Amino acid sequence: MQEAELHDLSDDADYAASQQQGSASIMRCDSGKKSSSSEPEGAQIVYLKDNVTIHPTQFASERISGRLKLIKQGSSLFMTWIPYKGQSTNARLSEKGFQLQTYRNLYTIRAVPFADVRSIRRHTPALGWQYIIVVLSFGKETSDCTAFTMFDCLQANFHPPRIPSNGNKGGVISIVYQYMLRTLSKEDGRFLFLLCDYPCIYINEKLCFAGLAFPPLYFYNGGVREFLATVKQHVLLMRSAEDANVFLVNDFQNPLQRTLSSLELPRAVSIASVPSTPVSVGESSSQQNEERTDVSASVPQYNGRQRQKGHDPARDISIQVLEKFSLVTKFARETTSQLFRETHSNGFGPLERRNSNQSALDYSHKSSEYKEDVPVQSPVDPDPLEFDKLSLVWGKPRQPPLGLEEWATFLDSEGRVVDPKALRKRIFYGGVEHKFRKEVWAILLGYHSYESTYAEREYQKSIKKTEYETIKNQWQVCTILSSISPGQAKRFTKFRERKGLIEKDVVRTDRSLSFYDGDDNPNVNLLRDILLTYSFYNFDLGYCQGMSDLLSPILFVMEDESESFWCFVELMERLGPNFNRDQNGMHSQLFALSKLVELLDRPLHKYFEQNDCLNYFFCFRWILIQFKRELEYEQTMRLWEVLWTHYLSEHLHLYVCVAILKRYRGKIMGEQMDFDTLLKFINELSGQIELDAILRDAEALCICAGENGAACIPPGTVPSLPVDNGLFYSQQDDEVL
Amino acid sequence: MFAILCVTTCYFSTSMFIFVCAGVGKSCLLLQFTDKRFQPVHDLTIGVEFGARLIGIDNNPIKLQIWDTAGQESFRSITRSYYRGAAGALLVYDITRRETFNHLTSWLEDARQHANANMTVMLIGNKCDLAYRRAVSTEEGEQFAKEHGLVFMEASAKTAQNVEEAFISTAAKIYKKIQDGVIDISNESYGIKLGHQTGAGLSGGRDGSASQAGSCCG
Repeated sequence: MQEAELHDLSDDADYAASQQQGSASIMRCDSGKKSSSSEPEGAQIVYLKDNVTIHPTQFASERISGRLKLIKQGSSLFMTWIPYKGQSTNARLSEKGFQLQTYRNLYTIRAVPFADVRSIRRHTPALGWQYIIVVLSFGKETSDCTAFTMFDCLQANFHPPRIPSNGNKGGVISIVYQYMLRTLSKEDGRFLFLLCDYPCIYINEKLCFAGLAFPPLYFYNGGVREFLATVKQHVLLMRSAEDANVFLVNDFQNPLQRTLSSLELPRAVSIASVPSTPVSVGESSSQQNEERTDVSASVPQYNGRQRQKGHDPARDISIQVLEKFSLVTKFARETTSQLFRETHSNGFGPLERRNSNQSALDYSHKSSEYKEDVPVQSPVDPDPLEFDKLSLVWGKPRQPPLGLEEWATFLDSEGRVVDPKALRKRIFYGGVEHKFRKEVWAILLGYHSYESTYAEREYQKSIKKTEYETIKNQWQVCTILSSISPGQAKRFTKFRERKGLIEKDVVRTDRSLSFYDGDDNPNVNLLRDILLTYSFYNFDLGYCQGMSDLLSPILFVMEDESESFWCFVELMERLGPNFNRDQNGMHSQLFALSKLVELLDRPLHKYFEQNDCLNYFFCFRWILIQFKRELEYEQTMRLWEVLWTHYLSEHLHLYVCVAILKRYRGKIMGEQMDFDTLLKFINELSGQIELDAILRDAEALCICAGENGAACIPPGTVPSLPVDNGLFYSQQDDEVL
Repeated sequence: MFAILCVTTCYFSTSMFIFVCAGVGKSCLLLQFTDKRFQPVHDLTIGVEFGARLIGIDNNPIKLQIWDTAGQESFRSITRSYYRGAAGALLVYDITRRETFNHLTSWLEDARQHANANMTVMLIGNKCDLAYRRAVSTEEGEQFAKEHGLVFMEASAKTAQNVEEAFISTAAKIYKKIQDGVIDISNESYGIKLGHQTGAGLSGGRDGSASQAGSCCG
C-alpha cells in the first residue's frame, strides 16, 4: 500500500481534542429532520467530487456515477451523493437499464449527517480505483428520540448472482449492493425514513450476511485523501487501532457501538479461500465508457472472470464490515422484508410514503415485475440452525429498575405524577424496585389516578376498604345460609361449587413461595377471599382457573386484602375477557398473534400454516396468565409492570410472544415440529426465557411493525383499555366445573 | 380429562389423554404414573401439560406421552383441540364429589365428537383411598362404564393403587387395536407415531418419522 503515507491523516491527539467540541455538537444534531432533503438550507459545500461511482451489481460495468459532496451546516457535516441525472451507462429502455434507473434512485445519499457515521474504510489498491466504504452507526442515544435503523431486503429488486454450485465446495461468496437500508428515527411518535442501501454477501446463493453500510464509493478521479482530510477538519476522526485503513467517526464511547463491534459472527465459511469477487475493482477500466448489453450473457463471463482474478482485497474489507453488523441485519432482514412486502402488496404503506418518493415508487413498480423473474430467492436463510446463534440486538438496553429517589422526582410535593408518559416510559425500560411496587402498581393499574395526591390516595383507600367489605359480606352471608340446612344448601349449589373450585385452586397456586407455603397460610385464605369476593363483584364472569395466578403476585406486592382486590379488579378490566366462557378473548388474541407472526415472520407463519398450527393454542398459557408460568416470580412481576405501562403498545404481550417464537424459530422449523411436539416444546420453555432479551426483541418488533402491526390487532383485543359496557363479558353459564 | 399419547420407542408411538373435571386429581394421577410419587401440592393446570413414561407391552417398548388438560369447563373449546391426535383417554372423576361424576357425560360426548372414533377411553374413579367420604359408589361407576363402552377402574393417586394398571391397560388396549388393524398406525390422526426402526418392526418401516425419533428413543 504505497499510498498509505500520502493518505495519512496525522493521528494527532491534540488536533483530535480540539475537535471534540465540534463533534459533540454534531452528536446532538437532529439527523432525522435533515435526512430527507438533499441539501440543507444555509449550507456550505466544503468538498465536492465528480465521478464518484457505485457499482450496484457485481458487474463493474454496471455503475452509477454521481457527485459526492460534504456540506457544512452550522456545526454539522453532511455527506450527499447524488447520481447524475440521465447519466446512463446502460440506461436504455431495456429491463436492465430500467433496473439501473431504479438503483440510481435507491442509492442516492441524501444528506447523511456524520453524526450517523460510525467509520469510513478507505481502500487504495495499487491498481484500479480508490474507494471508501461508509459505515453507519445506529441506535444512538444522544438525542431524546430513539434513533435506529431499519433495513429492508428489496427482495424483488436484486438480481441474484448466478453462481454454479459445482467446483466450489467451500461455498461461493458474492457481494451485491442491491438492497436498501432505511434509516428510521422516531420523533414524536412518527417515523422518518431515509432510503439508501447496503451490501450483502451471498454464500451459495443464500443471503447470509448483510451489513449496515453504503456501497463502496469509487473515486474514479481520485480524491480519497482530500475527502478524509476534509472530514477530519469538521468532525472527530480517528484511525482505528486495529486497522490503519479504518477511520472511526465520533462517539467512540457509545456503548451500543461497543456492543456491536463485539458481535462477531463465527465465520460460516472460509472466506479467504473462496475465489469470488464482490466488485470488480481494477478489472474493467476499459469498460468504463462502454455500455453493457446482454445481461444473461454476462453471467458465464462473470464466472470466468472471477477465476482469473483470485483474491480480491475489496471483498475482505467488505466482509469485515459486514460481519460486525450481520447480527443486526439478519434480524432486520427477516422482519422488515416481511413488512415491506406487506406494505407493497397493499399498494403503499404509510412507512414508505414519507421520504422515499420517487425511489420507492420505482421500487414498487419494479418489484412486481421482478418477482416473476427471480422467484428462487428467499430473504430468510433456509438454514434454521443459523438463527439459534444469533441474538437480536435492537431494542434499547434495559435499564435498572426505577429506584426510590428517582421515583420521588416523578412526583410533585403532594404526590401527583407530574409527567405520566415519562414515568410509563421509564418503567417500560426498567421496571420498578420491589420496595415501592405497591405504590406504583396501584397507579399503573389505574386504581389510583396519576393526578391523585398522597391524601387523595389515602382517602380512596379507606373508602374502597369499606366497599370491599360490603361485597365480601355478600358471599359470607351465602356461606352461612347454605350451611343452615340441607334445604337451603340446595339453593346455593352453584355458589358452593364455585367456592369449592376456588378453594381447590388457591391451594394449588404458588405454594412453593414462602409467602404462600405451609398449612393454613393466611395469605392463601386471602387469595380465596379475594377471588370469592371478585366472583360476586363480577358475577357474570365469576371465577375461572388462571385468575389465582393473576392475583397471586398482586397480593404479594400489595400486602393488603382490599387494595389487592381493587388492583385485581383493575387488572381484570383488561384481562377479564381472557376468561370468557366462549374464550372469545383468547381467540381474538391468538388470532392477532397469528397476524403479527404473518407480518413479522412470514416463513414461520407459512410453517405453522402447513403444519396446522395456526390456532396458536401452544401460546395459550402465555397469554392467559401473561407468562406467569414461563418466568420466575420476580421476572413475572417485572414483565407485568412493563406490560401495564402500555407505553409502546397495549398489546406488547403479543409482541413478546412473537419475540419468543422468533428466538426458537430455527429449532421449530428445523426439527419439523408438528402441533403436539410444538405444544410440548413451548411448554418446556418455561423457566428458560430470558426476560430482558425478549423484552428488547419485543420492543424492536413492536416498533418495526408500527402501524402495520397495530392493524393486525382487531379493536377490543385483550388487553385493551377497559371498555365501559356491560356486554364486555359474555354471559357465563355459571357452570363451574 | 387426560389425553394419553402413547409413543412406542421402537416402531410406533401412540397418544393418550386424560380428561376430566377440575380438581379431581388428574395431575396427581399423572405424576404418580410418570414419577411414582404423590405431590399434593401441584400448581393447577393451565392449558395443557405433559407427562411421559416408557412402558413395555408384549416386550415392545412403548413411550406413553400423556397430555394433562385443564379441567375447567371454560377451557373446553381450547382443550378440545388437544385431543384430536390422541389414541386413548382417561376420563377421571373424584369419587368423593358427585358433581364430577355428573359431568362425565358431557365430557365423554365432547371427546367422542372431537377425537377419533377409535380412541380408547378408560374411566377412572380417583381418590379411592378416601372411601369414607365416598359420594359415588363403585357400582355406579361400573354401570356408567358399561353403558358407554368404557373400561373402568377405581384408583388412588395418593396410594398409587391401580394407577399403573389404569395407564398400562389403556395402552395395552391401544396396542391391541393396532395389532388387530383397527388403528392404522401410518395415519397420525389416530395418535400413533412411529419411532425408530430398531427392532423387528410391526409395520415394516412405514412412515418412520424422523422427527419423532429423538423423543422416542431418548
